[in-house]
Amino acid sequence: MNLNTIVNGLGVTVLLPIVIFILALIFRIKVKKAFRSAVIIGIGFIGINLILGFFLNNLAPAASKMVKYTGVHLPVLDVGWPAAAAIAFAGKVGLFVIPVTVLVNFLMYVFHWTDTVDVDVWNYWHFAFTGGLVYALTNNIWLGIAAASIDAALVLLLGDWTAPAVQEYYKIPGLSIPHGFSAAYVPIAIPLNWILDKLHLDRVKADPETIRKRWGIFGDPIIIGLILGLVVGFLGNINVLNTSQAWFNILKLGMAMAGVMYIFPKMVAILMDGLIPISEGVREFMKSRASKRKFFIGLDSAILVGDPAAIASAMILVPIAIILMIIIPQNQMLLAVDLAVLPFMVVMTIPITKGNILKTVIIGTFIIWGGLLIGSNLSPLFTKAAIQAQFKMPATATQISSICDGSNPLSWMIVKLMNSGVGIAILVAIFFVFLYFYRKHRKAWEIIAGASKEYLEKSE
Amino acid sequence: MSSKKRILVVCGTGIATSTVVAKKLEEELKKKGIEVETRQCKAAEVEGRLDGINLIVTTTPVPDNLGVPVIRTLAFLTGIGEEQVVEEVAKKLKEGGEN
Repeated sequence: MNLNTIVNGLGVTVLLPIVIFILALIFRIKVKKAFRSAVIIGIGFIGINLILGFFLNNLAPAASKMVKYTGVHLPVLDVGWPAAAAIAFAGKVGLFVIPVTVLVNFLMYVFHWTDTVDVDVWNYWHFAFTGGLVYALTNNIWLGIAAASIDAALVLLLGDWTAPAVQEYYKIPGLSIPHGFSAAYVPIAIPLNWILDKLHLDRVKADPETIRKRWGIFGDPIIIGLILGLVVGFLGNINVLNTSQAWFNILKLGMAMAGVMYIFPKMVAILMDGLIPISEGVREFMKSRASKRKFFIGLDSAILVGDPAAIASAMILVPIAIILMIIIPQNQMLLAVDLAVLPFMVVMTIPITKGNILKTVIIGTFIIWGGLLIGSNLSPLFTKAAIQAQFKMPATATQISSICDGSNPLSWMIVKLMNSGVGIAILVAIFFVFLYFYRKHRKAWEIIAGASKEYLEKSE
Repeated sequence: MSSKKRILVVCGTGIATSTVVAKKLEEELKKKGIEVETRQCKAAEVEGRLDGINLIVTTTPVPDNLGVPVIRTLAFLTGIGEEQVVEEVAKKLKEGGEN
């Protein structure tokens, strides 16, 4: 009976709660509260496992029938950010990600490399996810942890860089958004926006309210799920549409997908509930250490996502994403759960386009295009990470991914580079080059990210 | 006889920051002797979920003119100003009167 047997035997539903319990005690949370939140986290995983299994067992056979009978080759199933987050926290890197990220943030703050104090502990999962992919690739836990650290470090810089822009546009003084997913698209959105401005597309104005009224159904995840299930069911049964059984199956699949879209996030909410005490503990710890000089409190991009321009752009992007997934030949991903999360993709682009919906949608289209290819490319590692995190995959050989973090260009870059010594050196160089040039021309960079000169001068 | 007050807690995903806020609100209001029931939803769904709601507490922008008082706050996430927000919530709930 060695450590490995115990770790594998207990599984994540017991192991992660134990780790969280110990962490909570370290952050001075009362024993009763720490214990309860640890158990709740385990329950969150049980719930996620249940619904993920349900989703895969229903969609996988229908998707493979669709491939067989219509040639629409989309064998990689989008399991969405709820699954990605669960896989991230459940993996070996996930066990370490909270203390590692706090350490990276603390050191960077002390070295004056960042002004952001990232208290959004829930979203550390993005870093653990990148680390989990690298671990799946290299089988080296230290490389996995290093990858998570670099991801965190780069995202903290991105948070600093975009801080004035989001503070000004979204009226959130004193905050920054070091979000592993939303912030990753900023370096891509900036040049695209510049091109679109040269084409004078900033002159075309669209009204968010009208769009919400007309495209409203694309904002409701239940409807998205229902439509998706019906479409995949229809295509999968296309050769037997004359039978009533086919129609029963189509309707049942529609309901199953609608159910997944609704229930899946609720299971994740259980997980998050368990993380709340730790989150507060980290926050108070970091704030007490950081009060020497000005700092931004780093929060979740979820606080921005109600913006009308973000919602309107995301609604239009849903049908665009579905069309892209079908027409792009190299794409293998069947979009599903993460069709509901497109607002997070565009929410930090909005200050750059100044709320211009047309430009945001065009940029979003390019991002999704790239994302589909990245997600397809990363799916073997994604699937392997899930299996390593002990999630049950269905009997049929199924590949999974997501248009959210499975298609994150920052994660992709880190995964590709962490595989070799040269790559790691390049990554470290990227970090320091980014840090150096950003700090040297701070104001100019921040204006490019969407802040106005007046705002920057006011905050000095 | 007053019924339990209902607060709709809103955020970007309906489960991320709204879970934190809902739990904190329930806890802190209970300490003040106010029993509330919280429901959570995303910003995009707000209009459809207003039935029986006395107050909206949100971490993300919501549409105007909902007919229900709205408090937008990040206090529960930053840990700054939580007391004041809980006071304000308690006040707004009392102002609402009996339903």
